[in-house]
Amino acid sequence: MLVIKNLKASINNREILKGLNLKINPGEVHAIMGPNGSGKSTLANVLSGKNGYKISGEVKYLGESLNDIPVEERAQKGIFLAFQYPLEIPGVNTNNFLKTSLNTIKKAKGEKEIDTIAFLELVKEKAKELGIDEKILSRQLNVGFSGGEKKKNEILQMKILDPNLIILDETDSGLDIDALKIISDGVNSSRSEKKSFLVITHYQRLLEYIKPDHVHVLSDGKIIKSGTSELALELEKKGYKKLN
Amino acid sequence: MNENFKISPSEINKIKVLNQKDKNFRLESLKLFNQQGFPTRNHEDWKFSDINQIFSKNFKNLESFKNEIKPKSINFIKEFDHNHILMVNGKLENSEFKFEDKNKIKIKSYNDSNFSLNNVENSLINLNNALSNNGLFLEVADNYKFEKAIIIYNVFTDDLKDNLLNNKNKIILGKNSELHIVEYNINQSKNKFIYNTTENVILNENASLKTINLQANQNEGFFYKFSKGKMKSNSNFSSFIFSSGPKFNKIDAEFDLEGENCDCNIKSALFINRDKHQEIKTKINHLVPNCKSYQKIKSVVDAEGKGVYQGKIYVKDIAQKTNAYQLSKALLLSENSEFNSKPELEIYADDVKCSHGSTSGNVDENSIHYLMTRGLSKKQAIQLLVNGFLNEIIGDIKSNSVRKFIENKIEIQIHGY
Ligand SMILES: Nc1ncnc2c1ncn2[C@@H]1O[C@H](COP(=O)(O)OP(=O)(O)OP(=O)(O)O)[C@@H](O)[C@H]1O
Ligand SMILES: [Mg+2]
Repeated sequence: MLVIKNLKASINNREILKGLNLKINPGEVHAIMGPNGSGKSTLANVLSGKNGYKISGEVKYLGESLNDIPVEERAQKGIFLAFQYPLEIPGVNTNNFLKTSLNTIKKAKGEKEIDTIAFLELVKEKAKELGIDEKILSRQLNVGFSGGEKKKNEILQMKILDPNLIILDETDSGLDIDALKIISDGVNSSRSEKKSFLVITHYQRLLEYIKPDHVHVLSDGKIIKSGTSELALELEKKGYKKLN
Repeated sequence: MNENFKISPSEINKIKVLNQKDKNFRLESLKLFNQQGFPTRNHEDWKFSDINQIFSKNFKNLESFKNEIKPKSINFIKEFDHNHILMVNGKLENSEFKFEDKNKIKIKSYNDSNFSLNNVENSLINLNNALSNNGLFLEVADNYKFEKAIIIYNVFTDDLKDNLLNNKNKIILGKNSELHIVEYNINQSKNKFIYNTTENVILNENASLKTINLQANQNEGFFYKFSKGKMKSNSNFSSFIFSSGPKFNKIDAEFDLEGENCDCNIKSALFINRDKHQEIKTKINHLVPNCKSYQKIKSVVDAEGKGVYQGKIYVKDIAQKTNAYQLSKALLLSENSEFNSKPELEIYADDVKCSHGSTSGNVDENSIHYLMTRGLSKKQAIQLLVNGFLNEIIGDIKSNSVRKFIENKIEIQIHGY
């Protein structure tokens, strides 16, 4: 699904990713842990196609190089990033935005666009699964949403857009226990042979709910250790300092 | 002054004057205008809109009058029920008040120059005093509340070219009356012309006037409107300005809050594209205690567009417990876009709540990125953000059908950004 070879990324003349290698097969869940500032969100941004980075190395998605593919095309091809800090977009109605987004992606895929009634039914169903109060969906996108509501809204978008490669950047931070469980269930019910996940987190707790196939430690722009979910437990006990 | 723009006193002979006094007043006003010329940037009120330069660039000669001509077919608004007034090139053509008690409404063509503002400073008003020969007079009786809105169709005919039209309007609301006006400008001319209006609005005790100013299309008109409002106690004025579209547009509104507990609201959402130039200038005079004023101006400027907001709040020493708010926010879409804002407070009372602010900046790159990660193209993302930015104003329109209509109009403008 995703192959990253010797990826380097710098911004404002500062190198942040310093030669990163990673391979994710279809159906797999990979977790990335690592200290603050190690480059986790940068990796997520770079995969999403965000402008402003100087990049070298290779990123292949479904066998195709992503190097020159712009942000929206990546999304249309099935790459989804749940943001660590979802942005507030004043004046834009959440439901309208979701519908525009879904239809743009459907159109790009050559699928038939969804009408308003079918869309509202879809949203209603998915929102219910995630325990999202439907009322917030008629509000402005993320504006005044609580931290947890913002994160849930990201997962709702994931569910509706139905992508293949899903990057969750600290989706668990700031969630209460119940929300954590609901969101994990949401992710788990989306797991399939065709979908892969890259889960960025600081907490082993999330990985008890979303069982990863592989766990990687990112430190100073490189993956310095990879292992199974055991590694996450070990990190929780010892911290990053004792690694190596 | 550009010699080409001097107007010969013989022009006044073309107007059906009321009497000698009227004629003298017009001649006097014209003399002043010819001395002053169109305002330049040296005049503080025109600092950011050098209309003399703008006119010189766009016009060689100006023709003061226009023979009467019938407009092409007009797309009347069908989306919501309304009364209508049809103005063609500033002249009252007809009106219909299907939903109202007609005895409560007085309407006539307005050309009474007793209404002299005598604002010698502003040469455009002098020009208007000299040459205005058309307009609208509308008076609503005490205690009468309109059932439906009036749409004033301001139609400009397709043969206008290098014309200078002057018109005067006067609107009086009786005590406890209520009226909602949508001023809808339809410009059929593909050419350049100037439309110079002075308007006088009087709200008597407890009256309520809501206005919406809207353009049907992009056009080559140059518009200036000076509006003077007087508000008696407990009256309520609320206006929405969506005046994007003309090549040049300056709305110059001055309100005197003369009675206690009045409430004056001005909200605007502007989309200024191409090389268009728009200015909103306001002066709110709090002359008595316990009044409220609120202004929120949101402008999106694209390409070589230029936007200006000059807002002044004046609070007289006796006007205690004044509550005045003023905010201008601008979004610049291109490196060449420009927005100037000059908010001003002049306060002589000590127990008041006044705030003002202004910001201008580019579209947030991170927001664009967020939307693009959901499949939207950059253009779509910017359109959505622009829409969202202006929605804060449009969303305040209470009537669903009117709001939808305006949303559509603005959407079309933004779509071509
Ligand atoms: N635009 C930028 N200019 C300069 N430095 C940047 C920029 N963006 C990120 N950085 C730096 O890059 C490093 C990595 O940031 P990144 O957000 O990827 O960390 P992270 O691993 O996600 O951290 P956290 O766990 O705190 O979320 C940080 O030191 C950060 O300050
Ligand atoms: Mg991060």
